Amino acid sequence: MLLQTDVAVQVAEASQGGMKALAAAIAVGSTGIATGIAETAIGSAAVGATAENKDVFGLVLLLTVIPETIVIFGLVVALLMLF
Amino acid sequence: MLKPEKMGKILIAAPKDIMGVVVAELHRQRLFHVEDFVEDRDEEYEGYRIGLPLEGASQTSKDLIRLRSVMSAFSLQPEELKPQEMARASALKEKIEKDLPALEAEVEALVNRRQALENKAKEAEQKIEALSPFAEVPYDLSLLSGYRTVTVLAGYVSKKPDLGVPCEEYFAASKKGNLLIAAVPNAYKAEAERNLMDSQFQAISIPLETGTAKERITEYAAKLELVNKEIQEISTALDSRKGDYAGFLAACEELLSIDIEKAEAPLRFATTDHAFIAEGWVPKDSVGTVSDGIIRASAGKAFVTELPVEEEKDVVPVEYDNVSFARPSQLLMDTYARPRYTELDPTLVVAIIYPIFFGLILGDLGYGLILLAMSIGLWMLLKKVGGEAQQLVGVLFIASISTIIFGVLYSEVFGFMIPGIEPVLPSRHLNIGGHAGGHGPEIPELMIMVIWVGVATITLGRILGIVNHALHDHGSHRIKAVLANLGWIMVLWGLLFLIWSFVALPLMPDLTGMPAVAGGLSAPALLGLVMMLLGIVFIIRESTLEIIELPTILSHVLSFARIVGIGLSSVAIAMVVNFIAIGLIIEPQLEQLTIFGVVIVIIGAVVFLIGHLLNTVLGVLGAGIQSLRLNYIEFFTKFYKGGGKKYNPFGTKRRYSEE
Repeated sequence: MLLQTDVAVQVAEASQGGMKALAAAIAVGSTGIATGIAETAIGSAAVGATAENKDVFGLVLLLTVIPETIVIFGLVVALLMLF
Repeated sequence: MLKPEKMGKILIAAPKDIMGVVVAELHRQRLFHVEDFVEDRDEEYEGYRIGLPLEGASQTSKDLIRLRSVMSAFSLQPEELKPQEMARASALKEKIEKDLPALEAEVEALVNRRQALENKAKEAEQKIEALSPFAEVPYDLSLLSGYRTVTVLAGYVSKKPDLGVPCEEYFAASKKGNLLIAAVPNAYKAEAERNLMDSQFQAISIPLETGTAKERITEYAAKLELVNKEIQEISTALDSRKGDYAGFLAACEELLSIDIEKAEAPLRFATTDHAFIAEGWVPKDSVGTVSDGIIRASAGKAFVTELPVEEEKDVVPVEYDNVSFARPSQLLMDTYARPRYTELDPTLVVAIIYPIFFGLILGDLGYGLILLAMSIGLWMLLKKVGGEAQQLVGVLFIASISTIIFGVLYSEVFGFMIPGIEPVLPSRHLNIGGHAGGHGPEIPELMIMVIWVGVATITLGRILGIVNHALHDHGSHRIKAVLANLGWIMVLWGLLFLIWSFVALPLMPDLTGMPAVAGGLSAPALLGLVMMLLGIVFIIRESTLEIIELPTILSHVLSFARIVGIGLSSVAIAMVVNFIAIGLIIEPQLEQLTIFGVVIVIIGAVVFLIGHLLNTVLGVLGAGIQSLRLNYIEFFTKFYKGGGKKYNPFGTKRRYSEE
């Protein structure tokens, strides 16, 4: 009986760990997709702008990475979940 | 420091006949930023007209156009030339008169000849192209055309067709396609074409040549080779001419460009029939130099005076005034916007906090040393070129030193722990492949650490905002703007006090144990609440709409979490590389070393090198761009406007010619 509860606890802990990992994966994965979607529009406009005027390269590179905040928040959430 | 170079406004008035002398002197000094004269804008300049170019301007432009056409024939870029001896302007001018026409004629003849040959080559290539489908046909090509009663159809088909009409056929299957040539009497032409449609017939035009196609192709190829050889000879001749004249041409180009710049300067001046007036900006320290120089050059005939600067009305050009350590960061400022003359120039602040962010993100002794070596090497390479590229290397240099310092503070070298050094900052050592030393990563502590960085940066930004408004605004708006900035600081810190009194966090004051004073709230909680409310009132007093910006207090502080996020991902990649290269490839071989094992160990070393090289590149990109973003978006938005006019003094830096 005791052994059984022990095993049950172990199983529960393992599945909890697995759930955490899954949740972290969803946090990083979905925010990554969101960042990607946001950056497509900015990125194509940025390439267009750079083609017209090379001087804006620094500025548009910066504008392109602005949505990276989303995935960074995802990463932060994932890290907090895992550690 | 924190202010752009102080500028003085200068007015020069002189008779028109010494305009050339004054312009030459201004050009030599390279200090005078000309304020373009606009007709009918200012009342005080009524009756003045824009000046006309100096004498000889049109001849000089003609010469310059001819010179540039020669240079483009040589495809000569002055930037690619090595530094050389300066040429005297007078000697150059003589040479331009004497040598340029002959050189021009020679180059033009060569270029024209090359053009003609290139056309010939193209023609031959087209002929060969047209003949190539018939290369294997054994008949004389003249037999395939020129009939009155018979039509010759030629083309590729998918399979051998049955034309179903009386005709003569030639069919050859090949890799390129199945060639069909059919001679059909005109009466059956339509029927034959219909039948050909079924086998996807693609017609080819029959070349009007005599002899077999093979013979003709050989002939044209030989001709093409001859032409190409001649083109090659001409190119060699042009190259040798380019070698002889590159320096001379670059010097002439510079000289003539300067002459034009000088000759066209009066287009920016206000003139009357007999006199002209030029207004412009000079760094305050150089006002004396400029006016003395002009008076001396004009033998006292010019009148120079300093005008009072009206900061409200005048658009004063901005030149940075920074200590040498901060100078490379001017590039980062210009990428965003040059400061206005009236506001604080935050270059120095950026020069300090940008490397700190960079180091906090990358923070690795090994990568820092690689970057340091790289930036020193690039610095040596770019020493002569100067300009933006060198500034960028300067930024990288400072950032790499910061990376080394933070690498020691994190105790990281290529993802390993530095032996014998305990991390001073919260540890970032993940446990990948069982190689991590110490007590694993301290994620909550790292997060709180960067939140402190964020709070400090944003508070500093708001303080700079207070200074900006206090110095340059007037009346009630000034008080409102200062208080609004103070309000933002109060909301931020009030929120912190509230959090501290409810939650105990690592690396932050723990105020949870304080006794409740009123309404179940402890003293710090009440203080926080009052600060927040008062802050919000201050913000609303300046602009009610700003209320919608309140959540940015949280989001901007949390945005600094990217320092941890990107930093940890870089550490993780480094550790994975170490694990793959050492743990999985090298170590198992070292237990029982065989000859084959040595090869594997070498492969492991290569994996290690490439992995860390890639991670360095990723790290520099990630850390570089994200630190910049923190500066621009989280820091600058608090106080910085930018949009100043660049100080661009009249004159050119001479590289090849001297007066």
